[in-house]
Amino acid sequence: MALINGGHLVGKYLKQVENVDIVFGISGGHIESMLDGFTEYKIRTIDVRHEQAAAMMAHAWSVYTGRPGVCFLTAGPGFTNGLTGIANAYLDNAPMVVLCGRHPLRDDLTGALQELNQMDIVKPMTKWAATCYDTKRIPEYLSIAFRQAMEGRPGPVFLELPPDILNVKVEESQAPKPSRATRKYTVHPDDADLKNAADIINGAKKPLFLGGTGIGFSACAEQLRAFVDKSGIPFMLLNNGRGELPDTHPLSIWDAGNIGMMVTIQQADVIVSAGLRFNWILQSGKIIPPATKLVRIDIDPHEVDRNRTADAGLVGDAGSVLKQLTPLVQKRDHSEWLKTLRAASRSMLDYEIRTRENPSDPIHPIRLAAQIRSVTGEDAMYVADGGDTVYFGLTGFMSKHRAGVIGTSSGLLGCLGTGIPFAMAAKLAYPDRNVVLLNGDGSFGFNSMEFDTMVRHNIPILCVVNNDCAWGMIKHSQELSIGADRLQCSELGTRRYEKMVEGLGGHGEFVTRDEDIVPALERAIASGKPACVNVMTDPTVTSPATPLFYQSLKME
Amino acid sequence: MRFTLLLFILYHILKRAVKKNAAFRSYIGAIHNVRVMIKTADGKRGRVFIFDRGGLKSRSGATHPYDVAIVWSDPGTAFRVLSSQSDEQQFLAAAAGKMKIDGMAFFAQWFNDGVKLVM
Ligand SMILES: Cc1ncc(C[n+]2csc(CCOP(=O)(O)OP(=O)(O)O)c2C)c(N)n1
Repeated sequence: MALINGGHLVGKYLKQVENVDIVFGISGGHIESMLDGFTEYKIRTIDVRHEQAAAMMAHAWSVYTGRPGVCFLTAGPGFTNGLTGIANAYLDNAPMVVLCGRHPLRDDLTGALQELNQMDIVKPMTKWAATCYDTKRIPEYLSIAFRQAMEGRPGPVFLELPPDILNVKVEESQAPKPSRATRKYTVHPDDADLKNAADIINGAKKPLFLGGTGIGFSACAEQLRAFVDKSGIPFMLLNNGRGELPDTHPLSIWDAGNIGMMVTIQQADVIVSAGLRFNWILQSGKIIPPATKLVRIDIDPHEVDRNRTADAGLVGDAGSVLKQLTPLVQKRDHSEWLKTLRAASRSMLDYEIRTRENPSDPIHPIRLAAQIRSVTGEDAMYVADGGDTVYFGLTGFMSKHRAGVIGTSSGLLGCLGTGIPFAMAAKLAYPDRNVVLLNGDGSFGFNSMEFDTMVRHNIPILCVVNNDCAWGMIKHSQELSIGADRLQCSELGTRRYEKMVEGLGGHGEFVTRDEDIVPALERAIASGKPACVNVMTDPTVTSPATPLFYQSLKME
Repeated sequence: MRFTLLLFILYHILKRAVKKNAAFRSYIGAIHNVRVMIKTADGKRGRVFIFDRGGLKSRSGATHPYDVAIVWSDPGTAFRVLSSQSDEQQFLAAAAGKMKIDGMAFFAQWFNDGVKLVM
């Protein structure tokens, strides 16, 4: 007779069936036997300082590795602290598995410690949520959770595990371990729809391909390369799809930046979009002129005509649809169109290009991003978090890697504080690469205690604080809306964040002059420690994202 | 000369729209102090449009401070493209390096979209 307790069953399933070797969370009495299960089955735990960071790291892990990230939360406050990270993963369609403690079933309605109806709170922000009531069924529930997270359109799932099932032993043979299905289910569009899409693409004179997070989760670099190389279509990969083909691919127009993209969208005659929601950043589709033909590829049929009726809609996994579409498209050369749109974008970006190239005093954040890039190059993983800061990072950095430049706060939740957890996950996923985070000073505050986690677990990221002493995007938006003389809750002080990091055992640098940026970055990298380079930047500068944000909330 | 006159006329059209055109009034809303300059690269001709709390002011000349400037290589091209009211012509002028944006590009687009409401 081999007995095993529920917590160990969790560890065993994670390791032996799903090959999970890292999980993120904070301890708690309710989940103790699960923690011991992690020890038993040699699963690395990254114990953070706030559960929101754990959920955000698990989300980020799925973005960087393509496999579901797992976080563990204890009952009650561990659960509530994790909610922001869960909501963020939900709006990002990220396959994350949340394992959560609960007050004992036995003590329901007695006023138990941390008694809370967690299920009703979490349901609207998960793809699937369940409570397991039977130790023997833990493996079965976990296998459902992983399948739900990954299959079709991905998303976060939530499994509640009360002590009544975690802390009791069962005969192991009574808790069968489901094997992992190796099949991949795919849905394919009709031949007629594919032909219709190909006809539109073949007739295009000024086409543009826009790919989103669905491209990233489809991991379809090979199919996408074959498609763009044959069709000759200039492309831009956005959100968590960025880097599926390198930003440096000759047909990628990331050098045109967001402004170039906006201008190009308005001039293109055909837009092919894949795995990309037409959300507020694309003005819910209104940015696309009515006459432009639209081919949309999405794994979710409801997305295809959302906010804009597509001329051709192809439902399925992006990679598999592109594979079917490529033989039907004709070999084309759109280099003249590409040259024109690049040249037009350059003129629109004239100011940004000059700002990148010239020293500034006070330091301009665009210049700061350019100086960072000059040190860490295209081989680094970049993360940007903040309001204006995210614009400066997304347009200032280029990487040759998959998910090499991610603006974590520019997801649909617009969630500040995501940068540090994402950068930590990137470093854990790619320990040999430089991981650089450009962080607004406001955003930095949310999860900066995680520098302690980085020191304990040796996660040496380079965090550069774009320190404008303000919640910049909000401050500049208030200047437009309520006026510079009535700013409210949007200013911060000159703070020595690098000293705080030093105090936690990391490396700190404080920079006020342009010529000191590069040496400070180099010293920070050479230190081999988690590092914070706190750079004072021009507080008057704002980004084009701010008036866009202002405009989106203007109601009359 | 024709360019300067065009900017002057544009100012008057927009000024009128601020008073009479509800769609335009709502478009500019109560935005505080956004300064859009249209000028030639040599700095000889230009006009700044200042949108402030629902009002519009304008000054002739290319030396005033601005949030964004739409900078034309020469007044002839500027006149031709602006009077065509065509996005495509603007795009092609930018591609030919005859029109550049200095400062906050978003406001150039914002201004152009506003003008479209009025024309
Ligand atoms: C968690 C969270 N709280 C508040 C906001 C509202 N918000 C949006 S942008 C912003 C300012 C960001 O400031 P900072 O991180 O310093 O970056 P900056 O805009 O200065 O580049 C705020 C407070 C948010 N998006 N997320």
